[in-house]
Amino acid sequence: MKVLKLGILWGLIAQCAGSIIGASLVMFIRILMGRAPIVNSWRVDEPLMVVGGLFGAIGFMYGVGALSDWIKIMRGREAPLPHGHDPRGWSRYFGVSYDHKVIGVQYGITAVGVFLLAGLFALVMRTELARSGLHILRLDNFNTLIGLHGIMMIASILIGVAALMNYLVPMMIGATDMAFPRLNAFAFWLNIPGALLVTSSMFFGGFETGWTGYPPLSAHTFPGVQMFFLGVYIIGLSSILGALNIIATVLCMRAPGMTLFRMPIFVWASLSTSLISLTATQLIGLSFQLVMFERLFGMNFFNPDKGGNVILFQHLFWFYSHPAVYIFVLPGLGIISELLPVFSRKPLFGYRWIAMSSLAIALVGFLVWAHHMFAAGMEEYLRVPFMYSTMLVAVPTGVKFFSWMATLWGGKIETPTPMLFVLGGITVFLFGGLTGPPLGTVSTDLHLHDSYFVVGHFHNTMFGGFVYPFFAAIYYWFPKITGRRMSETMGWLHFWLMTPAFWLMTGGMFWVGLRGMRRRIADYDPALGFDTIHLLVTLSAFLIAISVLIFLGNLIYSAFFGEEAKGNLWASRSPEWQVPSPMPEHNYDEPFVVTGEPYDYGLPGSVYIDLHPRPPEPVRGQPPQLEPATGD
Amino acid sequence: MATSSASLHRHGHVGGVIEDDHAAYQRMVRMLRIGLWLFIISDGFMFTGLFVSRFYLLGGTRPELSQALGLIVTSVLLASSFYMNRAETLIEHGDREGFLRCTLITIGLGLGFFVGVVFLEWPLAASHIGGPAASAMSSVFFMMTGMHAFHVITGILFLLVIYFNGRRGRYTPQRHWMVEACANYWHFVDVVWIFFYPALYLIGTPVALGH
Amino acid sequence: MAASAKVVYCLKNRHKLQIRACPQERGVMKYLRHFLNVSVLVIITTFIVSLLLEFLPLLPQQASVEAISIDTMFSMHFRVISFLFALIVVFMLYSLVVFRNRGGETDPGDHFEGNTGLEIFWTIVPLIIVIYFAFIGAQSLADVTRTEPDALEVDVIAFQWSWSFEYPAYGVTSTTLYLPKDRQTVLNLTSRDVIHSFWVPEFRVKQDALPGKDFVRQLRITPIKTGDYMVRCAELCGGAHAYMNSPVVVVEPEEFEIWLISQQNAGETGDSVTRGKALAETMGCLSCHSTDGTTLVGPTWKNMYGHEVTLIDGTRVMVDELYLRRAILQPNDEIVEGFQPIMPSYEGLLTEEQIADLIAYMKSLE
Ligand code: HEA
Ligand code: HEA
Ligand code: HEC
Ligand code: CUA
Ligand SMILES: [Cu+2]
Repeated sequence: MKVLKLGILWGLIAQCAGSIIGASLVMFIRILMGRAPIVNSWRVDEPLMVVGGLFGAIGFMYGVGALSDWIKIMRGREAPLPHGHDPRGWSRYFGVSYDHKVIGVQYGITAVGVFLLAGLFALVMRTELARSGLHILRLDNFNTLIGLHGIMMIASILIGVAALMNYLVPMMIGATDMAFPRLNAFAFWLNIPGALLVTSSMFFGGFETGWTGYPPLSAHTFPGVQMFFLGVYIIGLSSILGALNIIATVLCMRAPGMTLFRMPIFVWASLSTSLISLTATQLIGLSFQLVMFERLFGMNFFNPDKGGNVILFQHLFWFYSHPAVYIFVLPGLGIISELLPVFSRKPLFGYRWIAMSSLAIALVGFLVWAHHMFAAGMEEYLRVPFMYSTMLVAVPTGVKFFSWMATLWGGKIETPTPMLFVLGGITVFLFGGLTGPPLGTVSTDLHLHDSYFVVGHFHNTMFGGFVYPFFAAIYYWFPKITGRRMSETMGWLHFWLMTPAFWLMTGGMFWVGLRGMRRRIADYDPALGFDTIHLLVTLSAFLIAISVLIFLGNLIYSAFFGEEAKGNLWASRSPEWQVPSPMPEHNYDEPFVVTGEPYDYGLPGSVYIDLHPRPPEPVRGQPPQLEPATGD
Repeated sequence: MATSSASLHRHGHVGGVIEDDHAAYQRMVRMLRIGLWLFIISDGFMFTGLFVSRFYLLGGTRPELSQALGLIVTSVLLASSFYMNRAETLIEHGDREGFLRCTLITIGLGLGFFVGVVFLEWPLAASHIGGPAASAMSSVFFMMTGMHAFHVITGILFLLVIYFNGRRGRYTPQRHWMVEACANYWHFVDVVWIFFYPALYLIGTPVALGH
Repeated sequence: MAASAKVVYCLKNRHKLQIRACPQERGVMKYLRHFLNVSVLVIITTFIVSLLLEFLPLLPQQASVEAISIDTMFSMHFRVISFLFALIVVFMLYSLVVFRNRGGETDPGDHFEGNTGLEIFWTIVPLIIVIYFAFIGAQSLADVTRTEPDALEVDVIAFQWSWSFEYPAYGVTSTTLYLPKDRQTVLNLTSRDVIHSFWVPEFRVKQDALPGKDFVRQLRITPIKTGDYMVRCAELCGGAHAYMNSPVVVVEPEEFEIWLISQQNAGETGDSVTRGKALAETMGCLSCHSTDGTTLVGPTWKNMYGHEVTLIDGTRVMVDELYLRRAILQPNDEIVEGFQPIMPSYEGLLTEEQIADLIAYMKSLE
């Protein structure tokens, strides 16, 4: 019975048990206090739900086995890392593994799963909007679906970003694993109960607030909002711990000779992203927690009748959620910068500028959050300064775009599937980004705020900045993971179906948004004349879904029957391609030594890494130089 | 504590030289130290969020609280940080008995602080400014002290872990990362209170019974 | 190695590296023709795209002074977007066509790693552009928020899911927002429950209405075109957010005076049914209820009176005057089967006579 050995199974069982224990605990305490154990029904009894959900999540972590080593260590026992003792084969992906490559793939599978679910919600929602006057869904269900679609997509991006960083960063810097493998596994497994909790909000009446969860609506809407908050809180915790791990890994585990400015560019993107998720995520956690407590204990942070202030929530929320959009894109832009030189057979133009622009975007991104609140009734004197800071973000982003164009210029460009997605991502993100400044200018934002123009803006940025590069990355690194390559024909079909459909979709969104279509509405006035365009948007949404199905088919088919590809398929200079695929258990038998620049395509005789360095002659009286280099 | 076989593997046979265990441990601790600091920075953002919220909501007012009690619990917490530091220094010098004693005192003072805030100050405050549901002001007070108390409790649990492991003789002057981690965490929680205390007890005009 | 050092190295060791020439050395000459081509293409594309954006009816009609200033801002944005989009996309497509690998070529592209001058150039130029935009953006904001001393004051109260407008200077309350043309109106926005947002797309500007008496927010509008518009709630406020619309009517100042007087004397004209009909229109009932038998968000009023309805808990009630009163004042206590509890309560918004008029009107719809 192989199935019985799977950690995830025990995790799920323990989650159920934990939920029951947590809920019983609340009931027990109530009985002790002489009260009825359940108020109304368990489906609306929030203390029961929240404590149950929390215990369930802890139960999952215990059941899956992500805590066992730490418990051992706390009890003073040795808990050596079981490297090389993972079970081989598919089953290792369904239980706790400390291998960063396995965890990366686990993250990847989860991300795709969550993406599909969120996409499914979008399809249902789009069907309701296909024509004005349709009433397929109840209004509250529609509102729930918007929020669920939004937050699950965002969760899917966070998980997908972690997938890329986990899989690639240690390989790219020549480490055997992440700095804290146990923490790594822990952070990954948090996402499963987190995602389950968010989804479960549907069964507790849903929530009507959209992904932003603004009080006072979120303080009054259905109890499902508690599950949404709790789930996001847990996913946020995972994001924080994952970021911590990435930063420590990049700082401490680089191969000899790999100075900061010799790291592959994706590592820079990961570092910048992680700086954001490490710090800002706390604030969304706090803001959600405050609303949860407002509901549970009747606290009054956001209740204006008792001295609260609803704007405070928005400040806390956007202090995370704006920088978060750069968490979504920086790794994606890193992938683009990583692949462009490979497929144009030219060095990355302005490596240092691109690396620094990631950091600049991350830092400036901290100073712009209030641009989501121009019409929200916040302190009026803040509007102009935030307009200036918002516009500034365009500058480092522009540096990336111009450098990419210079990278393509004069190259020998090849366009296999990964490159198609890179180029598609560039154009789609470019348009999304360019629609940012009109939003960032206060006066025009007063018209655009909460319209479909914003919806168009962020679908363009997120698709171009994350979804496209993520697909590119999967097509590109799939051979590294499996030793087989994905079908080019199906990849080509995927791209050429998705791209026109996508432009039609967001094109329609921009159009109706400018003409006065509000976001988050279940129905629209037929007098506005939007019916045809909405129908087209819905149709293109389904075309995108079909293209995603083609991708899925390709993924599964190629994993088993794809053409074998064990060598350096793309003739890349990156370290991970210098060893055979699939990647060996410990990445590199011997740590390599970095001797050149990462992107010197076309410079005869230059090498980036030396896989078999001669042992350094020990100098008498001095220990051999073993420390990874720090600083440049 | 366990050394990472990953790091052993990575550095163990660079250049064919097998390193001694100690160097690997040192490297491991260096990494763990970075990890801990990153965690503290992250957590610090959460506390900063609370701190800023307090000023955003309450501005120049503050809850009417017992000054004497506030001063006492603050002193107790500061004293605990002192003993925490003693404990760490003593284990560095190999004085296990002293280490255990100081850890115990730290735990006691930590518990004292916790009891002072949660079991004395909370009921007292509730009579002045109302329970957590009374007003934004009381909500802020209970949230800030509650969140801090939660960290104190986790710190005490951590202290218990190092106490029992210390009794089993797990820590040596060379290897006591867990003690160092616990101490730094404890000091961090202490520093947070150094910001919270004036924000709740000293700054602004006191207001009784909420807004 | 820094780029310049690399060039020096490359020039010195040309024979060793066995390359024909150093890229930086011949770069400009080799690419001059391409640069010219691209420039022409970029200009043409920019021109086409901006013409397109200029002449497509992208924005609703301009019905306020604020809209004029905002639309100027929009067209400047559109021009910059056209140019930058054309610039990058043309560069990309051109490279893709001209510098593609024509099958089986194995030699790499030209080796150049970067150019600090260029990088500085394309940092500074966008920097100037965005600072300039923020600057004119601030001016445009000042335009939009300009205050006039003799502005007409209207208190706007938002609630789930409808609007109510009070004219404090005249003691008039209405659910249709009547505005005089060419005079600034200052709307004092508040909410009774959650956050809502006041948006009339033709006026462009938008402002959230926050709950709490300390959180009144102002929005200034100077309508310049008479006509019928719709205020649409732009902030998700639960349930029937989609249907939270109320009519806005801009009229000539004289007409506005007449309307005010008719409102002040309302209740004195016509019979009960006509007054009820007028009320149903101004109170926004008819955005959810039809009078011709079609089902909108709410049940139709046709043939409602005197018949039995089924509620969602299965009970059947006779629609009589008492039931109708309850349905208007506590709509969510009894929910009609097949509908959702989204109707706002009109308690406190309607006087006893008005309720009687509405009921009379509903009775008349046989
Ligand atoms: C991946 C995600 C992502 C990214 C990268 C961005 C990038 C940007 N966003 Fe966006 N945004 C979102 C995701 C994202 N956004 C989401 C999800 C929301 C809605 C949230 C919600 O309410 O639900 C939102 C909403 C949003 C708003 C609030 C709208 C409103 O509700 O009223 C604003 C306002 O300023 C804004 C601005 C910007 C700007 C200026 C950028 C800039 O970073 C863009 C910079 C890029 C370029 C400008 C293009 C390339 C640059 C050049 C070619 C250089 C030259 C350029 C110039 C000189 C202009 N965004
Ligand atoms: C990465 C982020 C991301 C992505 C990829 C998408 C993808 C899509 N989004 Fe969404 N969207 C958001 C993030 C994203 N969205 C956010 C943050 C919001 C704001 C929410 C809020 O306002 O609170 C939003 C809001 C939003 C709205 C506005 C709702 C409103 O305000 O009224 C709409 C409307 O059209 C929409 C549509 C779509 C569509 C059609 C897709 C399509 O691309 C989806 C394509 C379809 C699939 C990927 C499905 C494929 C799956 C199958 C074919 C089924 C197989 C299923 C299983 C096996 C389970 N999205
Ligand atoms: C936001 C939409 C909305 C608005 C505005 C609205 N209603 Fe309703 N109304 C409903 C819905 C939905 C129902 C059915 C559910 C229920 O019974 O509450 C309903 C039910 C009713 C009923 C009971 C109908 C029956 O068949 O039993 C009456 C009477 C009624 N509304 C009158 C009014 C009046 C009068 C107004 C304006 C002053 C009004 N409504 C405004 C949505 C609305
Ligand atoms: Cu009111 Cu939306
Ligand atoms: Cu933003």
